[in-house]
Amino acid sequence: MSELTTAARPYARAVFEMAESAGSLGEWSDMLGFMGAIASDEKVSALLATPKMAKQAGADAFVQLCDGKLNEQAKNLVSMLAENDRLSLLPEMSAIYEVLKDEAEGSVEAIVTSAKALTETEEKSISDALKKRLGRDVKIKVSVDETLLGGAIIQAGDLVIDGSLKGRLSKMTSVMAN
Amino acid sequence: MQLNPTEISDLIKKRIEGFETDAEARTEGTIVSIMDGIVRIHGLSDVMSGEMIEFSNGTYGLALNLERDSVGAVVLGDYKDMTEGDTAKCTGRILDVPVGPELMGRVVNSLGAPIDGKGPVNASSMNPIERQAPGVIERKSVDEPMETGIKALDSMVPVGRGQRELIIGDRQTGKTAVAIDAIINQKGKNVKCIYVAVGQKASSVAGVVRKLEEFGAMEYTIVVAANASDPASMQYLAPYAGCAMGEYFRDNGEDALIIYDDLTKQAWAYRQVSLLLRRPPGREAYPGDVFFLHSRLLERAARVNAEYVERYTEGRVKGKTGSLTAYPIIETQEGDVSAFVPTNVISITDGQIFLDTDLFNSGNRPAIDAGLSVSRVGGAAQTKIIKKLGGGIRLDLAQYRELAAFSQFASDLDEGTRKQLERGARVTALMTQAQYSPLKTGELAFSLFAANEGFLDDIDVNKVNDFESAMLSYMRTEKTDFLEGLNESGDYNDDIASEMKSALENFKSKGAW
Repeated sequence: MSELTTAARPYARAVFEMAESAGSLGEWSDMLGFMGAIASDEKVSALLATPKMAKQAGADAFVQLCDGKLNEQAKNLVSMLAENDRLSLLPEMSAIYEVLKDEAEGSVEAIVTSAKALTETEEKSISDALKKRLGRDVKIKVSVDETLLGGAIIQAGDLVIDGSLKGRLSKMTSVMAN
Repeated sequence: MQLNPTEISDLIKKRIEGFETDAEARTEGTIVSIMDGIVRIHGLSDVMSGEMIEFSNGTYGLALNLERDSVGAVVLGDYKDMTEGDTAKCTGRILDVPVGPELMGRVVNSLGAPIDGKGPVNASSMNPIERQAPGVIERKSVDEPMETGIKALDSMVPVGRGQRELIIGDRQTGKTAVAIDAIINQKGKNVKCIYVAVGQKASSVAGVVRKLEEFGAMEYTIVVAANASDPASMQYLAPYAGCAMGEYFRDNGEDALIIYDDLTKQAWAYRQVSLLLRRPPGREAYPGDVFFLHSRLLERAARVNAEYVERYTEGRVKGKTGSLTAYPIIETQEGDVSAFVPTNVISITDGQIFLDTDLFNSGNRPAIDAGLSVSRVGGAAQTKIIKKLGGGIRLDLAQYRELAAFSQFASDLDEGTRKQLERGARVTALMTQAQYSPLKTGELAFSLFAANEGFLDDIDVNKVNDFESAMLSYMRTEKTDFLEGLNESGDYNDDIASEMKSALENFKSKGAW
């Protein structure tokens, strides 16, 4: 996984710089996300991994799968990736691209997992608090996990803020055990 | 059902009351791969080098490699139930171990957790295992002896408090025996001892602990054990953990002695960890920083001055210097001292005690090679009496070895040469000493005096040891106060010399040996 990231980074950065100068960050975000989803499909990855598949044929098949959603530059990217045997990196590229895009736009994505569905005011207060702490605009993704019992876990990049009842109970267990 | 000592209602109540209920914010990552005790973690973007990492099953790891997209860490403990995809959390803590007098008499692992089944260690403080050694300004030169009670060592290769003296030799040459004797000899001298066993059989460690208990030495000793069956990470860390425990005494104005048994195995463990972390191999496949591995450890053995101790203890201890004396042990292969790790450690330490297989097999035990063994600073720390009387011994032995080799070709020898050969043979015999029988300063002085003044010259070589033990037991009963005086002061002058001489003459006239 970490090796994939290392390999995908130069591609993602190149695409990002190109998109930034062309002012098409959003368009590329959609295209990369779409291509990433296709490349991570089991059947597609099995097809691309077939040894018999010629490089250009693989690229053509991939472009056809994307069904006209790609512009010329994206098609070039696909054929270059096929040439270098890197089509499987598209999901990682998409993820790195999103991080770079968020950085450039001064925003960050936070995943909030809570025990009960959050009300709008709660969501607002979490997003305000996070904005204060991280110094960036926060895009919140919400999900519900009843096993947390109470509270919520906020995940923004590598940072995890565990305010769930489950987390506190397990912390208490380890404190009592030692 | 057995109750744990921590399960007392009051303790539980206190812990619950003191429990912080704040949400905890930590950086997290996921385990990408795990093999041979090495994990690679994705994420953990702000982990520090050497930081402890907590895994979801409660075991800890140590971050060693910080790379662009991953962190390489060693697992400190069992990694069998860890899987790819598990979370790993930063703790913000550098690895530390419990330190203090509460550890005395205990056997602990590299993390300071007891492994002797005697219940928890209630140590009051924790210290990081990696610390910078005291600087030049904070040190004091070595001037107090660290007596081992072994005749050959105390007279020829003396060691001072705060010195690092290497014990080097092949397998089965009595390296551990020398170290254990040194620990036993510290009884009643207010020196705290730490024995660090790295990569040894658990049965050997148990044997050492039993011997130390037998001689009442466990009361002032801590044993840190990372056995052969423990993970390489634990074997790599054990010397640093032991050193942190020794430093506690040094910094509090006390004297401590630490034995690293042995650093060869620690270097092997470190080599294993490094190669698995894919650090490039160098000479003998050791990583590039194997010199630093040992130099930073041994540099922490030092004598510190009173100001340092006062500052460290915030004024609680005044006017006392502290010291940590180290005896690292290195095992050579077929006497090859020019291998990588032996040359490194020889160059770091302030001298070495070289143990020789041939000497050991010919019955000269401890098998100390007087020619190759040196102490670069210990002479300054010898007591006056041993310095005076021991000087002649080294010379006698050096001349004896030269003559003995030469005289094999000569048919008849002149009187002077013959005398020197005979003296040499007796001194060699005198330097043999049984295990677990360290001598006090006064006793050692009497033995050396007898050799110097020629009291042994008319004794049969085979009888030298009988003569010596009879002489010492005579002195213990007849000259108790005088011996005590010598042990205490270590002085030497003409009055003492003449009293020793007359005592020896009295004993010899009885002819009871």
